[in-house]
This record gives sequence, structure tokens and C-alpha cells, in this order.
Amino acid sequence: MSAPAAFVLWRHSLRRIRATLVGLALLLAAFQFLLTQVAAYLVRHSAFGELSLLMPDFVRSIAGPSIVAFMSFTGVVALGYFHPMVIAAVVALAIAIGSEPAAEVESRFVDLTLARDLTRGAVVARTAGVLVAADGFVLALMSLGTTAGLACCAPAEIPAPGARVIASLAISLGSVMICWGGVTMAIASITRRRAVAGASVGVAALAAFLLDYLGRAWDPARSISVVSPFHYFEPTALIMGGSLNTADVAVLVGIGVAGAALAWAIFARRDI
Amino acid sequence: MTAGAPAIRLDHLVKRYGRIGAVDDVSLEVEAGEIFGFLGLNGAGKTTTIRMLLDLVRPTAGRAEVFGHDCRESGRAVRADVGYLPSELGFYGDMTGEATLDLLGRLARRPVDPDRRRALLDRLQLSTRDLGRRVREYSTGMRRKLGLVQAFQADPPLLILDEPTDGLDPLMQDAVYALLADVRQRGRTVFMSSHVLPEVERVCDRIGLLRRGRLVLVSPVADVRRMSARRVTIAFAEPVPAPSGAWPDGCEAIAIAPRAWTLQVSGPLGSVMARIAGLPIADVDVHEPRLEDVLRRYYRDEDES
Repeated sequence: MSAPAAFVLWRHSLRRIRATLVGLALLLAAFQFLLTQVAAYLVRHSAFGELSLLMPDFVRSIAGPSIVAFMSFTGVVALGYFHPMVIAAVVALAIAIGSEPAAEVESRFVDLTLARDLTRGAVVARTAGVLVAADGFVLALMSLGTTAGLACCAPAEIPAPGARVIASLAISLGSVMICWGGVTMAIASITRRRAVAGASVGVAALAAFLLDYLGRAWDPARSISVVSPFHYFEPTALIMGGSLNTADVAVLVGIGVAGAALAWAIFARRDI
Repeated sequence: MTAGAPAIRLDHLVKRYGRIGAVDDVSLEVEAGEIFGFLGLNGAGKTTTIRMLLDLVRPTAGRAEVFGHDCRESGRAVRADVGYLPSELGFYGDMTGEATLDLLGRLARRPVDPDRRRALLDRLQLSTRDLGRRVREYSTGMRRKLGLVQAFQADPPLLILDEPTDGLDPLMQDAVYALLADVRQRGRTVFMSSHVLPEVERVCDRIGLLRRGRLVLVSPVADVRRMSARRVTIAFAEPVPAPSGAWPDGCEAIAIAPRAWTLQVSGPLGSVMARIAGLPIADVDVHEPRLEDVLRRYYRDEDES
């Protein structure tokens, strides 16, 4: 009975977040579509060279070769997959989804569900399932936005990023979302309040992002930045023609899975 | 469900939160088919005990069983046989009443009979229009009624109800009492906590009283009433002299006037009747003690201690 009951809960949770989920996915898809228009516009007006010249030397040296990648048609098209605001949005979505067990304990809704023929594991499995579904949906729509934009408006003379690059960028961003969703689930399985779980993970994600930024820009911080999950998020390498680093993806997804497993174990043992 | 097993069995159940004891060595059996009232002041441990039955809270020691199944090891089998009404109802405010009942019905192992649900809604006066509204628009009483429907709708063999009539008007309280009488008639067991002592007296077969986590009284309601002395008022057709000499055992004079004596009598009334034989009696009024009189004494003792 657990599987169908978990499925009922999964469908219920997806229904509850559908407006936010669809809204965010459409917004990001539209942003991706418009970025292809921006990139095409810059190509038509030969603006990439001018933009590069406007860049101060110290910025060029801090950013390294990635800035060259960014100052290209592919770089602008792919901007949505690594723009800090977009990353913040998908991490926020992951936190909102991953903190649902704490929200249900706080509202006492879980008293009604767990008083039925349902395991506690089903509640955690439901949240993991919602996270994966939301992750897939958002990134599928973003990829669709990029693909549609390229199909309609990419300049013929410039090589457009292929499906492999777009898919790799989506997987890379998706693994960040899975990572923070799993971390949130672990924290949410301990706390009784969604705000506590959400705020804790939000602050941790910001700290990790800043640590990774320092590590990339400042040699002394480079060795410490390996503890930041964002250290394993390398979209610029993909723009520069590299292939998806499966080890990085494995680390991010591994953190997420470990968080979910921890949530499972803690939620099964705690007092509700 | 194990044949012949009590509906509920608590065996030296203990729950501690750090150094604070919430439930202390509670042992109890509730037979199938009875309505058991679980009483106590706020913080006595009623809800914690109920939550241990549902495996929402894990006991520090001891065990709880429902129909012979351990609530911890066979939690799912236990909960499949239980309909639960929590004291705090955590419904989603943005869901309609109907969507809430549908969702909770789908999560139950026992299928919900639509006719039964409709009958419950009719008895508790929740209309189709009410069910179409969002729960956030419900009054406290309507939320309680929705809670009762979700607990009863799968017709489980055991109903665990935490303050079932809290927030309901007197007419709705009567509807709930009638519902409880019906389910008992059909062999269902009800384990309910309540602060409303006349309610307990009216619907329960037996009661258990928790005081600071300890079970201090388990008894049929009728026996509890007998624990308290009856008040007997004897009215005389003409003034009579004040009684002289000692009263029989178990009898105490409360107020003595020329035309009326008020006595407190524990046990049989025979010896009192013998004492007043021959006097010009106009009327004898025997005021049966109420459950409330007895339990208030327990509550007062707790408060004082």
C-alpha cells in the first residue's frame, strides 16, 4: 500500500506547487528564449568584440578564460544556466520542495497522513519524487526555450550550441538543484518549522556560493572552496567546448541522495 | 486484527522528554466495542498517549498494542484499523473540504463508501456547498465536523478521538453523541479524550483518569458515580426537632432545619430510612452524584498537590 499512498501524496504535493513551478519554469524558459534573441542581436551588430574591449584588465584576469567564453554567442545563449539569479531561483525552489516534511509537521497535516496506513518513508520518498519531477520539468522547459530560440533566430553564420551542450548545461544546473534539495530534506527532517529549515539551507547555500566565488578569484581560498557544492558546478567549461564532468555531477547528485537518505533515516526515528 | 485481543492494550507505557515525564507507567486495556473516555487536565499526558498509539511519538519504555498488534513494530497494520481525529486539525486552508476528504480517503487502506460519507455529512450538516469551499473559510465548528468525517468515513474498527466535540454547538454535540452510539452499536470501539465531563458521563462506558502522566483511575462510569456520596433532602410536613445522637455509618448531616434535613449518604439508604421512620415526611429527594463531582475532586487534589 505504501507505493500508491506515496504516489497519492506525490500528486497532491505537485498539485500544491503547480502554480509556482509552472510560473518559474515558464519564466526561465522565456528568459532562455530571449537570451538567444539577445545573442543574435549582438552578433548582428558585431558587439562581442566591443564588449570584450570594454572589459577592464583586472576583471579579465580575475575571470580568466571563462570571460572569453561568455563574450560569445554560445556564452550569452547559455547565460540562464549559470546566472546567479537563476541559480538562486532553482535553489529556492529546491528549498521550498525539500522543506515540505517540516511544513507538514508544523501545520500538523502529517498527523492526518501518518495516522493512516502510510510509512514515514513514504513522506520522504514523496518529497524526493517531487524534487526530481520539478527539477526535470524546470530544466526541460529551459532547454525547450533555448532550443526554440535557436531554431527560430540563430544567425546562420555563427555555430550555435548543440543539443549536447544544452543538455549538459541543464544537467549541471539540475544537479545543483538536486544537491540543495537533498540538503534541505535532511535539515527538514530534524526541525519542526519550515522557516528554520528554509532559512538554514538558504544561508548555507549563499555561504557556499560566496566561498566558491572566492576560491575561483583568490588562490588562498581555492583549497577551502572544494567544500562548497558550487565548486562542482562548472558551466563555463561546457561553453568553452568541454564535455560534462560526470564526476562533478556525481558529487552534486551524491550530496542530494545522501541528504535524502539521511532525511529518511531521521524522519523514521523522530517523534512527530 | 488478532481475534480476542483487546482493542487497546497499554503495558507500562512511559514517555519522557529529557528529564520531564509526560506519561508514566500507564497500563490499560480497552475492550472491543466499548467507548472509553480518557480524561485528565491539560498536560496530563492524554494526547501523548494517543500519539504513541498512532506511532507518531515513540515510547521511552513499555508498549502499546491495538487489536493485538504492536503500535511500534506493526504501525501500519495498526493504523489501517484506526480513524483518528486530532485535537489540532492541520488541514490545508487552500484546499476545499471535498478535496481534503478525497485525499485523506485515498490514503486509507479501507475504501470509503460514498453513501456512508454522504450520510455522515448529512448528520453533521455539512452541505455540498460547504464542501466546495476552501477550508480556510470554515468556522472552528465546521473544521471539527470535517475532522470527524475524515475519521469516520472509512468506518474503521477503532476510532481515536481527541476532543471530538471541541468547538461544536450543543445541537452538533448531540449529533456526535448519536454518531458515537451508532458506531458502538455496530461493534466499533471508541477511545476518546475530553474535557467535557457531562459528555463523558453521557457517552462513555468506562473512563481512565490521567494525573501528571499516571493513570490514577480506571472504572466504569456508573461505579465512579457511586464513589461519591448522594445528597438526600428530606422535607417534613410539619416542623420536627433536630436529630439527636449519632448518624449511621456513611451518613452525615449537611443542613438541619425544622422542616428539612439535608444529608450526605455513602452506600445504601436503608439505615437513613430507618432513622427517619415515624417522622412526618412530606418528600425525599435523592440527588445522584455526577461524574463531574467525583472527577472535580481528583482535579482539585492535583491542583493542590
